[in-house]
Amino acid sequence: MSNRLPCQNGSRCAAEGGGGENDRVEILEIPQLGEVKADRCRLGEGAVLDSADEVFQATVHGRGQLQQIELAADATGKVTAVRVRLIADMGAYLQLVTPGVPLLGSFLYTGVYDIQAFSFSCHAVFTNKTPTDAYRGAGRPEATYAIERAMDTLAYQMKMDPAQLRRHNFIPKEAFPYTSAGTLVFDSGDYAPALEKALGHAGYTALRADQAARRASGSTKHLGIGISSYFEMCGLAPSRALAGLNYSAGGWEAATIRVLPTCKVQVITGSTPHGQGHETSWSQIVADKLGISPDDIEVLHSDTAISPLGMDTYGSRSLAVGGTAIWMAADKVIAKAKAIAAHQLEAAEDDLEFANGVFSVKGSPDHNLALAAVAFGAFTAHNLPDGMEPNLEAHCTFDPPNFTFPFGTHVCVVEVDEETGDVDVLRYVAVDDCGNQINPLIVEGQVHGGVIQGLAQALYEEAVYDDHGNLLTSTLAEYLVPAASDVPPIFTDHTVTPSPTNPMGVKGVGEAGTIGAAAAVINSIVDALSHLGVRDIAMPASPNRVWAAIQSARA
Amino acid sequence: MIPAKFDYVRVDSADAAVAALVEHGEDAKILAGGHSLVPLLKLRLASPSVLIDVGRVKDLSYIRDAGDHIAVGALTRHREVETSQMLAQHVPLLALVAGEVGDNQVRHRGTIGGSIAHGDPASDLPAAALALNATLVLRGPKGERTVAASDFFHGFLTTSLEPDELLTEIRVPKITGAGANYQKFNRRAQDWAIVGVAAWKQNGNHGVALVNMGSTPVRATAVEAALASGATAAEASMHASDDTDPPADLNASVEFRQHLARVLTRRALEAAGVK
Repeated sequence: MSNRLPCQNGSRCAAEGGGGENDRVEILEIPQLGEVKADRCRLGEGAVLDSADEVFQATVHGRGQLQQIELAADATGKVTAVRVRLIADMGAYLQLVTPGVPLLGSFLYTGVYDIQAFSFSCHAVFTNKTPTDAYRGAGRPEATYAIERAMDTLAYQMKMDPAQLRRHNFIPKEAFPYTSAGTLVFDSGDYAPALEKALGHAGYTALRADQAARRASGSTKHLGIGISSYFEMCGLAPSRALAGLNYSAGGWEAATIRVLPTCKVQVITGSTPHGQGHETSWSQIVADKLGISPDDIEVLHSDTAISPLGMDTYGSRSLAVGGTAIWMAADKVIAKAKAIAAHQLEAAEDDLEFANGVFSVKGSPDHNLALAAVAFGAFTAHNLPDGMEPNLEAHCTFDPPNFTFPFGTHVCVVEVDEETGDVDVLRYVAVDDCGNQINPLIVEGQVHGGVIQGLAQALYEEAVYDDHGNLLTSTLAEYLVPAASDVPPIFTDHTVTPSPTNPMGVKGVGEAGTIGAAAAVINSIVDALSHLGVRDIAMPASPNRVWAAIQSARA
Repeated sequence: MIPAKFDYVRVDSADAAVAALVEHGEDAKILAGGHSLVPLLKLRLASPSVLIDVGRVKDLSYIRDAGDHIAVGALTRHREVETSQMLAQHVPLLALVAGEVGDNQVRHRGTIGGSIAHGDPASDLPAAALALNATLVLRGPKGERTVAASDFFHGFLTTSLEPDELLTEIRVPKITGAGANYQKFNRRAQDWAIVGVAAWKQNGNHGVALVNMGSTPVRATAVEAALASGATAAEASMHASDDTDPPADLNASVEFRQHLARVLTRRALEAAGVK
């Protein structure tokens, strides 16, 4: 589904374009695509449109919802019901999953809270604007924004600490697997530790004292603390579930592992990377399973001549689905290798153990055969069990039984200049739980990028149209993508709650930062100004908007 | 993002640049650091038929002590202005403002003359030239003439420069030991100012000018007059939006810009040492 361009003999190659969603999952009907010649990879032509500005204007946009959310709560602050009404802007045409975006989000409006009654309705409307489609998070940032903003508003109205209100309503960890009012089964969760860790890193108690002191002193620089206890559903997805959402593809992922006679290993993945580090993570998984060096592993991808089967990288699915397929293919390789080793060692398979790349007879470790010897033996096929096919290779297709449900708490600390409306993000803490981590550095990188994208949505980026339908923010000079100099320090930490959905216990983290961030940022700004009477601020919270909100609260 | 076709002429002296301007007429534009002109070319907001590149003219890049003023060659890069010890001592506001232009890469390419000649009301240095009572030296086919900064900016991107003239030098009166401050308000660090205020104070004298508060850089004369009559920074700054006609855009309404001008003027004055 990635923009695979003609390569050789009609096969398709995908470029490492960066990012898995938005226009990356589309084949857009743009005339230049047809001009790409089939006799060579012309990835330069793959950009198709002349400039970033044109891609920005003419491919797809994200978000675009008007949300109405109502909470019902008892006198203790226990939320008993949520009602959501959406108007979702489809733009002028439906793209790949345009109407699926609000539907994907629809399951998440009860958040991480034990809420028994839930009502959701959505009107999808066509407008004369650029089509909307999946944009990092695809429906889940929207849902998280609604419930987390509403929880803060409820806390304010009930004069409760917003952290305490969340604790009071969390689904308890004993309740997992938890069937939600939205009829999904959440695989695993333990929400309170992530909240407490995030509050601890932020210095929550001291921040509240500082906030109170500033207010008492009459300072015009107001401190705000915003909490977002998000969760999301990813690892797309059980193919039957996607059918229910009218997706046009399944949710499985395919992998092949081929152990060459040299014991170098080819790993073929259908989950095409475009900057997410699959080569590293897949090598780690296979190296751990087979007891070999990651240097001996080559991950092959992105060319239909090599890897024709796959559903690609999007929806924070690669590890939980594609990585699991790799894991299971490695198990098949080990099983076959074990049969060969048992035959050659003249031992029963059950008497063999496999560790560090060596099969050995239990209790007699000197009686052993290394995987390299097995691989060469499989290649020569001189001494294989009766009926066994030569060579050491296995294929696996994994269709996950459920989504995975990562979660976490983000805390944003801002200083809002009452006089200018300027928002200065002083601190950003992200505590994420994506289950077991294969590569913590990659996880951290995903969180950083995701948080910045959510922060950009909250503070900078907006597709603004005039009354005649002209896109006013038509270049990257007006559509404000933050630069490195505009990004605050981001402190990351994690908790680990393994998923029971797959054997590695992994979830997904590609979108988590974005899903959690926007609500944390806006909650922090409203928190900073709540004593002035400000109750809400639309995104992006530009200085002009913040200033105007203060003026109208005073009026 | 691709400019319209143009011819390119490189010159090695100011006189050669003037000669080229005379030769090619009104459709020619001077290219110095390129950080104002090239974006306009790429967006096709400007499409001159000839670019006259003065980038390699050697004798237009200098910062000299000229007695009662500092003379700054038009091709002096922002970074050199920013880091000049001579300017830090005698005209600290100019160094401060130059240090707020774009980012470091921009400041190593962009020139003070290019920025002022471009006459963009949203740029930092034109307002600084106004606040500092600078005099601009223009060279044309008939020789040199001088124009006060206060007479130089006529309208949006329009100045006193005739089509056959080149800005060669900026003369800035010494205000040794002056307090100075530049308040630049924007959403992203490297953007143009939504509103900017440049201010200095030396003994009883003041200068205040505003960025992006009209079709030209604006001298805050009402603020200066109030200060001259003994107003405090807070009192004087209330006049910062007097007689201004700022633009409204996606970043700020007219009302918000005028409010910002008042707030930032107070902050700039206080930081420059006005009580």
